[in-house]
Amino acid sequence: MKRVLFWIVIVVMLVGFLFPIAWVYVTSFKAPQDIFKPEKLIFRPTLYNYVYIVKTRPSLRELWNSFVVTVASTALVMAVSLPAAYSFARFNTGKGHLLFITISTRMFPGVVAALPFFFVFRDLGLLDTHLGLTLLYLYFNMSFATFLLYGFFREIPEQLEHAAMVDGYGRFTILRQVIFPLIKPGAAITTVFCLIWSWNEFLFAFLFTRRIARTVSVGLSTFWGSIEIQWGPMAALMGVAILPTLAAAWLMQRYIIRGLTFGAVKG
Amino acid sequence: MAHEMVLAEPTEVRETFWKALSSDKYIKWLFVLPLLVVLAAFMLFPTFYCLFMSFTEYVLKKPPVFIGLENYQAVLHDPVFWSALGRTFFVLIMSISVELIVGMAIALLLNREFKGQNIIRGLCFMPLLMSPLAMSLMWNYILHIQFGVVNQFLEWFGIGRIEWLSNQRYALFTIMLISIWQWAPFSIFVLFAGLRGLPKDQFEAADVDGASSWFTFRKLTLPMLKPLIIIIILLRTMWLIRIFDPLYGTTRGGMGTELLDWMIYRISFVFFDVGRGSALAMFALYMTIIVCALLYRQLIKAMGAPS
Repeated sequence: MKRVLFWIVIVVMLVGFLFPIAWVYVTSFKAPQDIFKPEKLIFRPTLYNYVYIVKTRPSLRELWNSFVVTVASTALVMAVSLPAAYSFARFNTGKGHLLFITISTRMFPGVVAALPFFFVFRDLGLLDTHLGLTLLYLYFNMSFATFLLYGFFREIPEQLEHAAMVDGYGRFTILRQVIFPLIKPGAAITTVFCLIWSWNEFLFAFLFTRRIARTVSVGLSTFWGSIEIQWGPMAALMGVAILPTLAAAWLMQRYIIRGLTFGAVKG
Repeated sequence: MAHEMVLAEPTEVRETFWKALSSDKYIKWLFVLPLLVVLAAFMLFPTFYCLFMSFTEYVLKKPPVFIGLENYQAVLHDPVFWSALGRTFFVLIMSISVELIVGMAIALLLNREFKGQNIIRGLCFMPLLMSPLAMSLMWNYILHIQFGVVNQFLEWFGIGRIEWLSNQRYALFTIMLISIWQWAPFSIFVLFAGLRGLPKDQFEAADVDGASSWFTFRKLTLPMLKPLIIIIILLRTMWLIRIFDPLYGTTRGGMGTELLDWMIYRISFVFFDVGRGSALAMFALYMTIIVCALLYRQLIKAMGAPS
């Protein structure tokens, strides 16, 4: 009896969490006339919406833009955050204040940063460019990446480094051969988070890109026209845009579960 | 002798340079340097720029004019601001409480051993990976009054259609529902990871003493998870104050759902009243900093406490 109850709760929970995602795909295969008939649970699937977004919308370009900005900004974030987090964790650089300031950038309301950047980017000609958006995402993800990595570096016992030092290895050799292999799971989960957040980000992309560097999120919002919302094509593009996040999560699944249990316990 | 010294210099200099570079004193700052540069460029600059703007009358196309504290006065006397602020706090408190309660319940549930546990745990994580904007647009469709599938089901079950997003009374709750749907998995996973990491022996001792499971939960589990709960509250507060996407995908600030971030966006980027927008943004910033500093202090206290 208790087992049955347990499974009922699990099923209800899964339906609750997964239904909207499943509905994205269901909707994307509906023909235009079926979109407005929710009572028709069984319908004839069609690729109409997918063909539509490829043929008449700049969706492929938007996907490409998202890809470029996401990968570039994540690479930058890791390049900045990895050494900084190591420094915070091992040497307590800035005695905690600096770390708190870093974390606090994440609590800035997005629009606080958006206003000044808008003017500067306009003057520098960075509006609607990949570079501009990449820099914004560097700012956007850096603080949380540093915070996460800080937790992971803290997990690595300092004695390991001391032992290697006693053995006569230099600082950089130790970093490469002792620390790096140990931080890999943590770095992997941080990378995935940065990738997913940049990919999904909307506010900055919406304010800072118009036509050339428009990302998928902004592309999705343009299906909401002045007269009606094109649900079908929108769902199709959503379905495509979701796939990379799922793939990233799937590839990193092992690391994510390990990384989360690692980092979260100690906070 | 002197001649030899000169000859030896290049390698020696390089060696001391590398030594100095790899000594802890320099290396720690060298490693933070890129971060500091980015921080200065992306945090200090916009904050001061925004602060400056907030003292000016600046409606786009005309140069800014210094007007002192007028923007702040206008904001403080603006009933729209106060209701947006109130709503934001309401959303904060309600969403975070629900997320914590739901998250804890599901985390306890997932903490058992059962068939397919890894897959089911992984699936619970999915909403967190989805684009907030995309999913709020999807929810908009699912909950649509005429052709939303949820309302269709409600009608079949004889409950009748609910105006999820087209009624002032429900719209804000619907937006909270969307945000909770997306972020409850975050609470679940942090708490689940915490439960996994709890030391076993104290629970066995409590079991031997015949303590009820509710008693064990309240006296052992909760206190031990306290730092994690505060972390969740801290992070969610930071993220919720800047909630924007679910509004853009659904009501666009209408139907009595205008929250603080949306109001700043509307005033600065729709009305182009940059001065007023900046003053509002500074309010939002101070508020966030105060709330988060208080929470951060709690966190330090909770983590420092012997457990």
